[in-house]
Amino acid sequence: MSDKFRNNPELKPLLKKIKNEVVALDGKALPLKFMEVCGTHTVSILKFGFRHFFKDSIKFLSGPGCPVCVTSTKDIDKIIFLAQQGHHIVTFGDLIKVPGTHSSLEKEVAKGALVSVVYSPLDALKIAKITSKEVIFIAVGFETTIPSIASLVLDAYAQQINNISILCLVKTMPNVLKYLLSQLQGEIDGFIMPGHVSVIIGAEPYEFIPKEYNIPCTVAGFEPVDLGLGVESLVSQIKNKNPFVDNRYTRMVKPEGNRAAQELISVVFQECDVSWRGFGSIPNSGLCVIEEFKQFDAEKKFQIEVKDEVVQSACICGDIIAGKKSPLDCTLFRKKCTPENPIGPCMVSFEGACAAYYKYGE
Amino acid sequence: MDKNTIFLSHGSGGKQSQELLELIYNTLNEVVINHGEDSGVFQAVEGKAAITTDSYTVDPIFFPGGNIGKLAICGTTNDLAMVGAIPKLITLSLMIEEGFSFDDLNKILISIKDETKKGNISIIAGDTKIVSRGKIDKIFINTAGYGVLATNESISSKNAKPQDDVIITGDIGDHGASIMAYRNGFESSLKSDCANVAPLIKALLEQEAIIHALRDPTRGGLASILNEIVASSKVNIILEEERLPIKESVSGVCDALGIDPLYMACEGRAVIICPQDETNEVLKILHNEPLGSNAQVIGRVTERSDTPKLFLKTFIGAKRILPLLSREQTPRIC
Repeated sequence: MSDKFRNNPELKPLLKKIKNEVVALDGKALPLKFMEVCGTHTVSILKFGFRHFFKDSIKFLSGPGCPVCVTSTKDIDKIIFLAQQGHHIVTFGDLIKVPGTHSSLEKEVAKGALVSVVYSPLDALKIAKITSKEVIFIAVGFETTIPSIASLVLDAYAQQINNISILCLVKTMPNVLKYLLSQLQGEIDGFIMPGHVSVIIGAEPYEFIPKEYNIPCTVAGFEPVDLGLGVESLVSQIKNKNPFVDNRYTRMVKPEGNRAAQELISVVFQECDVSWRGFGSIPNSGLCVIEEFKQFDAEKKFQIEVKDEVVQSACICGDIIAGKKSPLDCTLFRKKCTPENPIGPCMVSFEGACAAYYKYGE
Repeated sequence: MDKNTIFLSHGSGGKQSQELLELIYNTLNEVVINHGEDSGVFQAVEGKAAITTDSYTVDPIFFPGGNIGKLAICGTTNDLAMVGAIPKLITLSLMIEEGFSFDDLNKILISIKDETKKGNISIIAGDTKIVSRGKIDKIFINTAGYGVLATNESISSKNAKPQDDVIITGDIGDHGASIMAYRNGFESSLKSDCANVAPLIKALLEQEAIIHALRDPTRGGLASILNEIVASSKVNIILEEERLPIKESVSGVCDALGIDPLYMACEGRAVIICPQDETNEVLKILHNEPLGSNAQVIGRVTERSDTPKLFLKTFIGAKRILPLLSREQTPRIC
């Protein structure tokens, strides 16, 4: 990242201009409601002070953009089950503290479970090569992460490594947005599209949003200047009553995305219905491993016994992910629920809305 | 027996212990005073002196820009400097895991010697223990430092006053970020800023610069130590994001790991809080020292407050709180 996108003298005048334009908008209830569907955007909006700066003119809602947050409690229970069976669990760090129904990976580690934290899925392969245990990579994430998970499966296949599998919990962006819009129609004035995800899938998959719902969209990056340009685009689309999918992150995102990465994904995965925290099951909103690679699919390799349990909790993480509520609406926030003692995943993940509000709140 | 390996018997008090001690004495050589006595004896000073102690458990023990030995000496001298003391003496306790290599020990001892010599301090007492494999991780170091106060003025975290400037002597977060990058296998050109800042502080005090508060932003980083200062002094402080010297490589690593450079440890920096009319003089002195060439004002003490807070004015001019985080972002970086 360059200072040009962070500490730029033209940024403050731009943001002031946007604010004035919002106030001057005809026939629009203020604050405008913009939803970001990427955890990194949530962090940037709070960290750089956009929420505070646009306090009365724009309200930023966090959508389903934090991979750990959208993982359902039942899926967390599956991970814990596999850890309890003595398998070597390999995961991104955020997942460790997420509470399941009765336990968390952190608690299982204290009892002796084997859990390694990695930053790249391919590290799981390195671990599998030096252990005789079954290594299970917990595959959470959106399109951004999925190509490297596909590489993991293909590499394991090519190298005939048989003690590795993935618990496939990956999710995809366009269809969850469709579902969200069917629920929230008329309540969102604009979407800030996820920069990282769009690098892979491009900007085209969002075309249905302005066409069918008349809502402006812009693909944006994560630095203050990127966000400023993204917000400027949404406001000008509203002003001109001309919603479309704008791309203000052209240095990274092509309209058609990254074809090679898309191809890689389609070799290993196929679309399937998956369950989201806050929404339940959504048709074709995730991926599962195709039949040819089922030997690497932990769900098929192992009998995972997890009950459907509903635990009563005051945690509103699901409603926050769905854009219905803000962390500040939660009775647990900052009181019972803190980063040290998180009640829900939105407080665990550093990309979660609650963790970001906790850390960067005014 | 493997000649490069330290065994439990090297801590038994017998012949092999003597061999290990000889290596330590021979390597450290002239920086050790009072060889072989049960206690180190030295001439007491009139006036005020300062004592500090710290333990070092950094993982990895060798990192870009330093190692656990250099860190132990600099960490200790820096703590002394932060109360306005000139470091004079240090004690050195080595806790070594069975199986550790003599080669690595030697490298660490050479760094310790270089840093003590450069800092014009002596090792007055020491101890070595060997513990069974798995009981500690490779090597831990404990030190105590003794220094003589170079000023009669009170330098204290309680002393920050409204309208004081907040100055940092160099870039923020290099140590923490370089350790995290190294630990996670990231390729980066980052190096720890690990250094003895005592000469910098000595220069300020010798030239009679007025300093209200002085801290080294080690564990918890800049945001954490300033939170301690606002609480102790009962004042608000506002930092300006656009004035914070953070290397692009540091913010890059921090962004990738989801951590904030303002909470990343520095090991060769000082935060100086001084009256505004003293700022130019302080900066002039700092800029004359190699370690202070990038010193700059990063914020200001705004007012007294019964609910003291540290604020950040962001790039876009918004104001947000920089809270004290209780979950440690990065364990065992010092």
